Order: sequence, then C-alpha cells, then structure tokens
Amino acid sequence: MELLNLSIRELNNLFVNKKAKPSELYSEIFDRAANSEAALHAHLSLFEETNLEKAKNSDERFSNSENVGLLDGIPLAIKDNINIKNEKTTCSSKMLSNFISPYNATVISKLDTEQAIYTGKTNLDEFAMGSSTENSAFGLTRNPWNTDYVPGGSSGGSAASVASRSSIAALGSDTGGSIRQPASFCGLVGFKPTYGTVSRYGLVAFASSLDQIGPISKSVDDARIIYSAISGHDSLDSTSINDEQIDLPFDKNATIGIVKELMEDGISEESKKEVDKVIDILKQKGYNIKEVSLPLIKLSISIYYLIAPAECSANLARFDGVRYGLRVDGKTSYEMMENTRAEGFGDEVKRRILLGTYALSAGYYDEYYGKALRARKKMVDEFSSIFKECDYLISPTTPTEAFKAGEKTSNPLEMYMSDLCTIPANLAGLPAISIPTGLSSNNLPLGVQIMSKPLTDNSLLNFSEMLEKELDFNRTPEGWSK
Amino acid sequence: MNLKPTIGIETHIELNTNTKMFCRCKVVDTEEPNISLCPTCIGLPGALPVPNEKAIRYITLLALATGCTITKKGMFHRKNYFYPDLPKNYQISQFDLPVGENGKLEIVIDNEKDYVEIERVHMEEDTGKSSHEGTGRIDSATSTSLDFNRSGVPLVEIVTKPVIQSSKVAVAYIEELRQLAIDLDISEGKLEKGNLRFDANISVAPSDSDELGTKVEIKNMNSLRSLERAIDYEIKRQSSAIENGESIIQETRHWDESKETTTSMRSKEGSADYRYFSDPDLPNMVLPDEFVNQVKESLPSLPHENRNKLVETGLDLSDSNVLSKSEKWILELYFEVFDNTKDSKATFNWITGELQGQMRKLEIKSLPEWFSPNFLSDVIKLIDENKISFTSGKVILEELIQKDTTPDDVAKKLDLYQENDESAISEIVEEVIKNNQDIVERIKNGEEKLVGFMVGQIIKSSGGSINPGIAKEILSKELNL
Repeated sequence: MELLNLSIRELNNLFVNKKAKPSELYSEIFDRAANSEAALHAHLSLFEETNLEKAKNSDERFSNSENVGLLDGIPLAIKDNINIKNEKTTCSSKMLSNFISPYNATVISKLDTEQAIYTGKTNLDEFAMGSSTENSAFGLTRNPWNTDYVPGGSSGGSAASVASRSSIAALGSDTGGSIRQPASFCGLVGFKPTYGTVSRYGLVAFASSLDQIGPISKSVDDARIIYSAISGHDSLDSTSINDEQIDLPFDKNATIGIVKELMEDGISEESKKEVDKVIDILKQKGYNIKEVSLPLIKLSISIYYLIAPAECSANLARFDGVRYGLRVDGKTSYEMMENTRAEGFGDEVKRRILLGTYALSAGYYDEYYGKALRARKKMVDEFSSIFKECDYLISPTTPTEAFKAGEKTSNPLEMYMSDLCTIPANLAGLPAISIPTGLSSNNLPLGVQIMSKPLTDNSLLNFSEMLEKELDFNRTPEGWSK
Repeated sequence: MNLKPTIGIETHIELNTNTKMFCRCKVVDTEEPNISLCPTCIGLPGALPVPNEKAIRYITLLALATGCTITKKGMFHRKNYFYPDLPKNYQISQFDLPVGENGKLEIVIDNEKDYVEIERVHMEEDTGKSSHEGTGRIDSATSTSLDFNRSGVPLVEIVTKPVIQSSKVAVAYIEELRQLAIDLDISEGKLEKGNLRFDANISVAPSDSDELGTKVEIKNMNSLRSLERAIDYEIKRQSSAIENGESIIQETRHWDESKETTTSMRSKEGSADYRYFSDPDLPNMVLPDEFVNQVKESLPSLPHENRNKLVETGLDLSDSNVLSKSEKWILELYFEVFDNTKDSKATFNWITGELQGQMRKLEIKSLPEWFSPNFLSDVIKLIDENKISFTSGKVILEELIQKDTTPDDVAKKLDLYQENDESAISEIVEEVIKNNQDIVERIKNGEEKLVGFMVGQIIKSSGGSINPGIAKEILSKELNL
C-alpha cells in the first residue's frame, strides 16, 4: 500500500485498525529518501538504522492497542538546528560539523512522549540565515518540483523532505519566514505559531526575539496535530508563554483584511492572482472582505535586518573553538578564536555578524538598533489596531514563485526581499501560515499567507483548513524523480 | 601643586544561593574542575537562561539595605566581550535599568560617621576561571585551563560614585559592605575565596578643580591590604606624573602583589565596547511593590543599626564599629552580658580581649554549649565587687571555656576569692612587717617604691586571696605612711 501521500490522521486510522504498520511506513519512507536524496539533498543525516527499533516498538503498541496518540510511529524530519540528544546538530555550518548534542530540545522531548519517529536532520541555510538553502556548508538542497530551482529557506531541507514524501511532516524554524517561504515554494503548509507558544529551548538561536519552531506539512490538519504536540509553556524557556488560546470566528462572520502594502510593487502578478483567487472564494462564501493598510510593513526588511543581525552577533559569539565544535589553532587563545571563526562561518553568517556588531556599537546603537526597536514597537501597535477591525489578514507568502539556484546568491539584497511578506509576523510575534493555492506558469507552487493576532493559532488553523478544502490543491511534485 | 585623589569602587559579591543564576546547577565550593555544569552555563547551542528568583531577592535585599531606589521594571542586558572563560562570549548583566540606584552606605572613620554614596546595585552572572600556564597572562600563556564550575554563579555588583578620597575610606567601605552582605545572609563574604572582589577607579586632580582627572582602573586586588597599597601606590604614581607635567592615560592597570606596583594591561582585556543590549531570551525583571515590601520587611538588623544600639550602651563609635564587624554570636553575647553588668567598656574588653584571645590560643571557633553568657557577667561582677582579682578572672575564664563548671566553683576550687575582712588581713600584714623589718626601715627612709614589694609579700602569704588594694591600704595605715 502507498502510505506516503496519506495524512497523519489517515495513517493513524490504518495503524489503529491494523490495516498497516508503522514499520511498513518506515520502510516506505526510507526507500523514498534513498531514491530522492541524490537529486534533492534534503537531509544532512538519516536515522534509518537507529530508529528501526522505535518503529517496531510502535508496531507492538498498535498491535496491543497501547498506542499513545496520533503521532505514534509517524516519521518526522527535523531541521538540523534543533537538538536531538546524541545526534549531530550542525546548523549546516562547518563550525558545528562535529557537534553532537548531549541534550534534547523541548520540542523533541515532547515528540518523544508522543512516540514520533525521526527520519533524520534536514539541510538549512547556515544557522538559518538565508532564503534558499544555498548557504549550507554541506551543499544546497533542490526543489522537488523542479530541481533547477531552490526549495526556499532556511528550512528548505525540511520542505524538500516533506514534498518528496521522504518524511510525513517536518519541523522547521521561522525567524523571518523560514518555514512559510519554503513551504510555499514546495507546495506545502507551513505554520509559524505565536511567538512563545512553542519552546525555543534546544533550538540553536539565530535571533531570539524572532525565532519560532513550527511544522511543515502536507495539510493543515497535520500542522495542527504537530503544533498541539509541541506547544505549551516550558519552564526552560523564559520567553515561553501560557498558551491560552483566544477564539476567533472562522465562518463567514469573520472579517478578512487584504494587506494593501503586500499587493503593490515588488509582488509578482502571479502571486497577487493567488490572493485574488482566495478572496473570490471568501466572497462567494459571504465573508466580509476589506483592504487594510499597515504603512510600516514597508520598513519591515530594514527593521528586521538591524534586529536579527544584532541578536545573531551575540548569539553566535559562543562559537569560538573553546568548548566544542571546530577549533583552528593559533599562537594565543585569541588567535585561536579568531582563526576558528574566520574558518568556521560562511559568508552570509559573517555578513550578518558584522552588520549586527556595527548596529550595536557605541555611537551607532541609537541610530540603528535603538531606532529599529522603536519602529518594531510601532509596527506591533499598527497590527494591534488592524486586528480590532479584522480577524485574519491575507497576503501572498512570497513575492514570486521559487527562483533558480544561483540566481540570487550574488545579490544579498534581492535575496532579502524574498522575505518581504513573511517578516512582519515575526516582528510582531503573530501566528502566520502559508497554504498552497496553485501552480505558476512554470509549474511551480504558489501560496498565500494568513496572519491573525497573537494566541489565535487554533482559529487560524481552522480558518486555513476551511480554505484548504475550497482550494483543493492536492498535488504531488514529481520533478525530483526526473 | 595641591592634588586630590578621587576613587570609585566596583565590588562583585558572590551570592550564597544553592543554584546558579540562570540554570539549576548547584553552586559548588571545590577544587575539582568542571563538575557542576549544564548546557546553559557552558553555553551549548540552543540552551536558554531562566532567572534564579532567590538571587534577585538577595540583590533586592542589598539594594534596599543600601538605601537604593528600586527599579520596578528592570532589564537583563547582554554585555558582549570575548574571553575563553566566558562561555557565551557575552555576560548577562544589567545596564540602564539596574535593581537599585542612588543609595549610600554608612561607614566609621576615626570614631566619626561617614557615608559612601552608591551609584547602582545590579545583577551579573559570574564567569568561569582561567589558569594561564606559563606567564599567567592570556596573551602570552603557553596554554590555558578552564574551570566552568563558577560560570553562571550569581553576583551582585555594587558601584560607588566617585566620592572616596583615601585608601583608608576605601578599606572601611569594603569592610562595611562585606559585613552587610554577611548580616543579610546573602554571601559568605570570604575575600580569600573570592566571594568579594573589587576594582578601583582612581584619578587625581588639582585640589581646587571641580573636574575629575583621567581615571585609571586597577584590577587584581585580592585583599584589603592590596586594595590599600594599590590605591596608595596609584595615587602616588599619578600625582608625580602630574607634577612632572605628564598626562595620565585612561587605561586598566594590573596590581602586581609581589612587586607592589601597578602595570598597564595593554591587551584586548582592556579595550571595551560592550555593545550592551537587552537580552531577548529574558523578559523584563519586574519587581512589584508587593515583592519589594515583602523583602523590606525581611531585612535583619543592619551593621549601622547594630552600631547605634552599641553606642546606646555607652561604647564609643570606634569600639561599636569593631563589634558590629564581629561574628553574630559575639554581638549577641555582648548585649546579653551588658544587660547584666551594665558596664559597656568592661564587657567590650572582656569579650574582644580576654575571651577572644583565649579562644584564639585554644584554637576554638565557637564557645562550648555549657558556656552561659552569665559566666562572663559573673566574672566581671566578681572583679567589680573586689571578690576576685583581675588575674583570677582570667584564670576562671580559661577554666570555663575548657570545663563544664561555673565561675563560683572555679573560684572556690582554686581558692581565688579575695580576703576582704580587715582584721584577718591586718594579721597577715603584721606578720609580713615583722618578717621584713629591713625593708620597712628603707620604706620609712623614703624608698616608697618598696611598698609594692611588701604588697606582693602580703598577697603571697595569703595564697593570693587578698585584694591588693585593701592590702596596700592597711599596710600604709600600719606604717603610718
């Protein structure tokens, strides 16, 4: 039986009714990964042998009706910036190429309780800095729809893994769109939850005030199942919040805002058309639609590229060759640290560390970082007032479809622009989701993004699921097998 | 040229919490390296800090005890600098919103009260410990060993305003601060263990100038003695440089204990743009009124309050200051004994002189359980009432420390009660006069200093039980002196 295209709920039904076994799914998954890996390079490591035992134990539980939940025996891929105990966490960096984590991230401990199985660690832009997964020290990942194209980033490996059916779903991390943009480029659902609802403990920090772990999956329901497993207050993360969800209407009583600034210059006609398509559906169903304006959104890339690098310049300071990871010798301790960092980090990471160090320097702090913080605060206020009149905000997820590998690597600014639509949700801590809507003229997936106010994740998922049914995207990429 | 020095002191006090500041690792006191570590305190990728509430409470205690204004909505900041024993290469500290600001600490200088103004009291996490093999300095060491047991231990940093004008005041300030930390029970306060560490910012300017001179930071002073000497040395160095028309360079200098000089630390350790920014891993440090009031209510009796109480018993400020810096049981003993004797000076002298002296001699740190404060007041009273001599008092005290007995038993057993009955004493005096006619002749011929010899003979004949004062009185009467 072909199990790879099924949803988590469907698979669980088969397991519960003893029509299929987790170990059967396990072999199908690893067969697929073995077939697709050469074309895609979605994974940095695959745990076929180490987890076979877990799959068999899962078989046992189902046969004894002792299964623990919907994720029991479900193979998930994990972005390689999330720590799994006794496994490598490389962050796609030479700096951590030999680093084996002695501890589990909180999300992994939670998935362990659910008896989920990990297929492997997925490729990413080094330390999650990038939008194409080309900034990996271990080689780029390709888009399963067409391998000439990038899968997006930084969670491009996770998206390519799920799209090629090498895993049922995956965990990614999203600092400025790193879950939603690759999900959109690969025809998948990508969900960035409200900041603080999923613990960051064990996620290698890029920009702490923006980072959030979330699922990349084939369906909204799969995303919901994973989100409900990994969310919840964590005493190990001081920015973790009590997940007290607020209910929004998701039937036609809901008011939908179209973000004017994300339907203007810089957004391709094709991307706009997908939003129009969704709006037509909503209109037909009787939803209240209005155009809204958030003028500060236009500044979001400028704000983001001061705040994220500033935080990253401190977060990445710990990689110095002293305690773990790469060490390149030198005559003194300082020379050793300098040599290690010079050799261990790639260009994009260095660019951002330098940018952030500069933005925080004496004499420049107020002009750059301080100003960015104030603008961020104003943007949060802008969103708060918009959410008084709208329940959900709709925009394209990305300005364009996926771009070709190599197309933007020499132009960082153009690369940064591909996160224009996704960054605002990180700056404001909002839940935001990308759902696939259709294919471009190049046969590449496109998606729309929906945002709502903090702590309305469940309503956002319900609303998205309604749209998902109407859109009936349901397409499987085959480009990787050509 | 008349010059005046100005000194500001930054003190780090290690808090005596059970666990570290941002993780639940135990704070350990051991030479064995790297045994109390976790992902957070060695800066593993992905690890996050969770504040220790008890440490914040302790810092609030100190801020309140120094009269600081408490910042209701404080912040944790990252202080960025690279050093091998700083695992994250940033230190979680506080910047513009510390726990407390604008306080003062009362000190005693030469029997007078003085105050040192406090600029700020804030939280900081400690670093690990480096041992630089070879030269002892990072930039020239052959290798460096690291111990992260101390990494993440909570510290409170107390920064004075630049108001201190001599090494004497600086030492008094540190002694007072140390006592305060001990009385608040927030630190062991042991300098030799590095529980208390201090750096001094020193500048020298013309006496009539309103502006401060160029400041020089002095590090590596490990004791009060080195603090005193380093400050004196640095004031002298800067003063003579200014007098010779040289300019002072703003820099960090290292106190060299063996050479008793300061030397320039021209390495990366000194150059600093810390790029402070609010730590995005930590929410604001909110200290609600309710919490602050509750901490305020839990404040114990502070050293300056103890001093005031001691002065009320009749001691002078200087003696009161000495007692306020003693261990708690000594202070308690003083008040209990004073309650009985009402003689502050005798009580002070007996406790700080005889009692502590004998304890030092016997190498004991605390009194035996049987030793009641009443013993000491009894001894003092017996001497006051001329029932025993001062010397006998010392003998009795020595016995009381070593044996489970009472002052009365000791006095009786060793026959130390003095004879105060005049007729009985007269008999002995007459006997001694009879046996020392030659001496008596010489006294009568003007050699009055021989009276002392005669008194000695009388006490000897009585087996030590005669009060020397009375003996002398009767002798003088008998000899018509």
